[in-house]
Amino acid sequence: MLTEQRAEAAPREPATPTVDRRLLRRQRRSRWDLKVSPYLYVSPFFVLFGIVGLYPLVYTVFLSVHDWDRLYYRRGGFNGWANYDFVLHDPVFQKALVNTFSIFLMSSVPQIVLAVVIAALLDGQLRGRTFWRMSVLLPFAVVPAAAVLIFGSLLADRSGLVNQVLAQIGDWPVLHQLGIGPVAWHDHRWWSHFAIAGMVNWRWTGYNALIFLAAMQAVPRDLYESAALDGGGKIRQFWSVTLPMIRPTMVFVIVTSTIGGLQIFTEPRLFDDTPNREGGADHEFMTSTLYIYVKGIEDQFYGRASAAAVILFVIIVAIALLNFGLTRFLTRRAEK
Amino acid sequence: MRKRTAPTRRLLAAAAAGSLLLGLTAACGDNSDPTKSAKQESLGEGDQLTITTFGEFGYDELIDQWNQENPDIQVKQTKVALWDDWKNELNTDLQAGSGLPDVVAIEGDYMPAVVAAPDRWVDLSQSEVDGRWLDFKSAAATTPDGALLGYATDAGPEAICYRADLFKDAGLPTDRDEVAKLMTTWDDYFSLGEQFVKNSDAYWYDASGSVAQAMLNQVPYPFEKSDNAVDIENDGLKNVYQTVSSHVGDLSPQVPQWSDDWTANFADSKVATVPCPGWMRSNIKDNTGDPAPKGAVWDVADVFPGGGGNWGGSYLAIPKTSTHQEDALKFITWITAPEQQAQIFEKYGNFPSQVDALSDPKVTSFTDEYFNNAPVGEIFADRAAAIDVQPYKGPLYSDILGKFQDAINRVDAGKDPDESWATFEQDVASLQ
Amino acid sequence: MSRRSSTATGRPGFLVYGLLAAVVLGSALPLYWSYMIGSHTKDEANDSPPPLLPGGHFFENARRVLDTIDFWQALLNSLIVATVCGVSVVFFSTLAGYSFAKLRFRGSSTLMGFVVMTMAIPTQLATVPLFVLMRNYGLLDTLAAVALPTLVTAFGVFFMRQYLIDAIPDELIEAARVDGASMLRTFWSVAVPAARPAMAILFLFTFMTVWTDYMWPLVALQDTETLPVALDRLALTGQGQTTDYALVLCGAGLATIPLLILFVVSGRQLVAGIMQGAVKG
Repeated sequence: MLTEQRAEAAPREPATPTVDRRLLRRQRRSRWDLKVSPYLYVSPFFVLFGIVGLYPLVYTVFLSVHDWDRLYYRRGGFNGWANYDFVLHDPVFQKALVNTFSIFLMSSVPQIVLAVVIAALLDGQLRGRTFWRMSVLLPFAVVPAAAVLIFGSLLADRSGLVNQVLAQIGDWPVLHQLGIGPVAWHDHRWWSHFAIAGMVNWRWTGYNALIFLAAMQAVPRDLYESAALDGGGKIRQFWSVTLPMIRPTMVFVIVTSTIGGLQIFTEPRLFDDTPNREGGADHEFMTSTLYIYVKGIEDQFYGRASAAAVILFVIIVAIALLNFGLTRFLTRRAEK
Repeated sequence: MRKRTAPTRRLLAAAAAGSLLLGLTAACGDNSDPTKSAKQESLGEGDQLTITTFGEFGYDELIDQWNQENPDIQVKQTKVALWDDWKNELNTDLQAGSGLPDVVAIEGDYMPAVVAAPDRWVDLSQSEVDGRWLDFKSAAATTPDGALLGYATDAGPEAICYRADLFKDAGLPTDRDEVAKLMTTWDDYFSLGEQFVKNSDAYWYDASGSVAQAMLNQVPYPFEKSDNAVDIENDGLKNVYQTVSSHVGDLSPQVPQWSDDWTANFADSKVATVPCPGWMRSNIKDNTGDPAPKGAVWDVADVFPGGGGNWGGSYLAIPKTSTHQEDALKFITWITAPEQQAQIFEKYGNFPSQVDALSDPKVTSFTDEYFNNAPVGEIFADRAAAIDVQPYKGPLYSDILGKFQDAINRVDAGKDPDESWATFEQDVASLQ
Repeated sequence: MSRRSSTATGRPGFLVYGLLAAVVLGSALPLYWSYMIGSHTKDEANDSPPPLLPGGHFFENARRVLDTIDFWQALLNSLIVATVCGVSVVFFSTLAGYSFAKLRFRGSSTLMGFVVMTMAIPTQLATVPLFVLMRNYGLLDTLAAVALPTLVTAFGVFFMRQYLIDAIPDELIEAARVDGASMLRTFWSVAVPAARPAMAILFLFTFMTVWTDYMWPLVALQDTETLPVALDRLALTGQGQTTDYALVLCGAGLATIPLLILFVVSGRQLVAGIMQGAVKG
C-alpha cells in the first residue's frame, strides 16, 4: 500500500527530453525493482529449503516404495507397499513407537508442570533477576552429547552414584520395606525411559520456564488486583488468573515439545551401553528416529527406513493438526 | 483489495516446480561408482598411509619399525576398541564411498560379506603370498573367481583358560593336564562347573555369550545353509541356545561380554574359566590386572570341550577407494608375514594363521609367565590342529551373530528364553 | 507489557529463594559431577563410594583427551559450521522476513503460510535421502554437508518477520523511497539497523542449535568430526575395559566450556530472546 503509490507519484512532466529519458529509465527500473525485489528477497529461503528440506522429503516417499541393493548401495526396482508392510509388521518398529510416546509423555508432562512452577517462582520482584533467569537456563548451554555421557555415568547400573545411594538408603528400615534399592536404568524398559526423559527435562525445563515467565509478565496486573479484591490468595490467583491467561503459550510450548519429543535421538543412542547401540539389548529404549537411523544408515535398508520415516511423518502431521484444532478451540473459549 | 487467488496459485506452483526441479537435477548428479578404483596418487611429503584396526592387533611396535625402515611409506594407525563399532562405521563409510582408510581391518566373521561384494575391494593375490596361510583362512577370503580379498592376520584356536587358585579353593585339581582331562566334552564342562559353584563365590564362566559363541564355532551350519539361505531353526543352533540358557541361573554371571561389569568381574576374582582363543589372553591380562592381584593364578589347559574350535582371527583388506593401493599392498604383505605375526604372538598372544609361523621356534617354544608359565605356543598349536569343524558363514553371518548375542544377553538380563528367541527370530527376519 | 507495582505480587519470601536455589543446584550438579570426576585419576573415579570433591588431575586427563581425539580440530569444525549456519540463517531470514513483514507482493500471505507450515516438519526424518543426496554430490565427509541443511530455517524467517512488523515504522521505508533509494538500499539502511537486536538473538540460537546437533554430523561425516561426534568416539575408546569415566567426563567437561563461555557472555540476550520469541510467537 505504501510503495506503489509512491512510485506512481514520480514526476510526470520532465523539463527536457534528455532528462525525460533518464527519468523514464529510472522510473522503469524503480518499478521493476519494486515488483521483483520482494520475490528476490524471499527466494533464497525457498530455493535452499526446496533442495535440502522439501526435496529430501519427496525423495523419502520415492525411496519408500523401492528396493535397495545393500551390497552396492544402489536403488532397486519398484516394490509397492512391501516396505510399509514390513515396517508396520515389524515388532521392533512398534516397540520403538511405543517407546517414543512413552519417553515423550514422561518428558513433556513433568517438564511443563515444572516449567510453570519455576516461572511462577521467577515471576516476582526477585533480587538478582538476571542471575536466576540465566541459572535456570544453564543446562541449555550444555552439549546434549556431553550431558548424556554425564548422566550415563551417574546412572550406570552397577557402579553409578545414583544406584550406590539407592543401595545405601535401601538398607534403612522403613525404606527397605518400601522396596527402595538400585534400579536397572538400562535394562528395565520403563526405568530407561524415565532416565532418558530426565535428561530431556534437565535440558529443556529452564528454557520453557522462561517462555512461561514471559507470558506471565504479559498478564495485565489489574486482573490480579481485582482477584485480590475478591479475596483470593496467591495460590487462588495463580489458578484463576495466571493459568487461564497463559493457556495460548501453553499450547505453543506443547506443540514445540511435541515436534522435539518425537524426534529424540542423541539420548537413547549415547545412553546405550550395548555394543550394537540399537536402544538396548531388547530395544527397550529405541526411539523411532533411532529406528530410522539404524535401519537406514547402519543396516542399509533405505526403503524400509524411508517407509518408517513417512509413517512417522504422517503421525507427526496428525498430531500437529490435532494441536492446531485444540489451539483454536482453546483460544475461542478464552475469547468468550 | 484485489483478488489474488489465481496468480498466487500459479506462482506457488512455479515455485514448487522450480525447487523440485533443482532438487531432481541435484539427485541425478554423478553416482560415484564404488566398484571403480580411485585415482592413484603417490604419497607426498607428510602424507600417510592410513590403517584402522579394532581391539588389539599388536601393531604398535611393528608400525614404528616399518616407519623407520620405510621413510617413503609412513603408516598411521587408528585403533577402534570394539569390532561392532568399527563394523558400523565401516558400513557407513562403504555406503558413503568416503572416509575409508587405505587399509581396513576386518573380523573373520565379516569376510563372507566382503566376498559377496567383491568388486569393491582390491584383489590382493600375488605369487609372493601363495600358501602363506592355513587353507581355511585363505579360502574364507577368496572369491569363486579366485580373487584374494584379504590377508589373514591371526587365527583363534580355542583352549580353556582357568583360575588355578579358585579351582584349588573349590577342591578341584589345578594341574593343567588334569584339568584338561576333566573337560573334553561340554557335558563334562558344565557338570564340573556345577560342582565348582557349590564350593565357590565365583562364577564358572565369564559370560553366557562367550560360551555360546565358543559352542557355535563347532556347529557346521550355524545360521545359513550352503546356498546362503538363512536357517536358524537347526538343531545345532537350538542346542547351543538351550544349553546356555539353562545355565543362566547357576554358572553365568549374567553380564554381557565386553561390558563394564564383565571387565570388573575379572579383577574381583569372579571368573573361574574362559573359553580362550589365543588373543583372549591379552584381554584376561588387562582385565585382571598385570601384575595379577595377590593370589590370582591364571593357567591354560590344552583342551577344548567338544573337540577344537576357532574363534575369531582377522584380515586386512584394501578398499578400492584407497588412493595408495600399491603402497598399501606392500605394507600389508610385510606386516602379515610369518615373522611379524610370530613377534605379535610373543607380545600380545594373537595366534598366527601363517603356516611358517606355526613351526617357528619363537612360537612353539613360547611360554607365558602370566599364565603360570604355561607352554602356550605348544598348547595353541595343538588346539589349532584339533579344529575339525569350520562353521559355514554366509554374508549375513556377522549380522545374525550380533542378534544372537543380543538374544543371549536378554536371557541373562532375566527375560524368558522362549520370548527372547521369538525376538531373535524377528530380528533375523528384519535382516533379510 | 505494563509494569507491575510491587503490591500485586509482593516481595518474594525465603521459600521462593530456597526453591529457586534448589532448581539452580539441580541445573548445575551434573556439570559439577563431570568436572569433579574429570579431575580424578581413573582408579579414583571408579572408587566406591565415588569421590565428591574435585581432585588435582584435570589437566592430566585433559591431555589424555587431546591424545585420544582430535579435540582442537573438532572444536574448529564445530565453530566453522555453527558460524556459517548462523550468518547464513540471519542473512536470509532478515531478507525474507523483511520482505514478508514490510513489502507487498502477490502470494505473500500464501508463501508465509507455507513457511509457518514447514516449521512443523521434522527434517530429521529425511536423513536417509539427504545422505544419498550428499553422496551423489560427493559432499559427504565435508563440513559443507553438515552446514547445508541449516543454511536457512523456517523458524528464522518467521522470527524475523514477527520482529520486523513492529520494529520498523512504515514511514521510515516511505521516506527512504522518496529519497530515491533502491529497494536493496532501503533494506540495508532501514531494515538491517532496526533488525540488529533480533539478528543477534537469531544468530545465537542458530549457532547453539548447530553446535549441539549430533545426528546429522554423525551421518554426514566419516573421518571429519564435530564436537558431539568426537565425544561419541571418546566414549567408545574405552569399551571392552572398565569405562574410563575420568577420561570421558573430562572430555564432556571440556566440550562444554566453549558454549559456557558464550552463555556467560551473551546469556542475558539469550534470555531476552527466548522471552521475546514467546510473546510474539
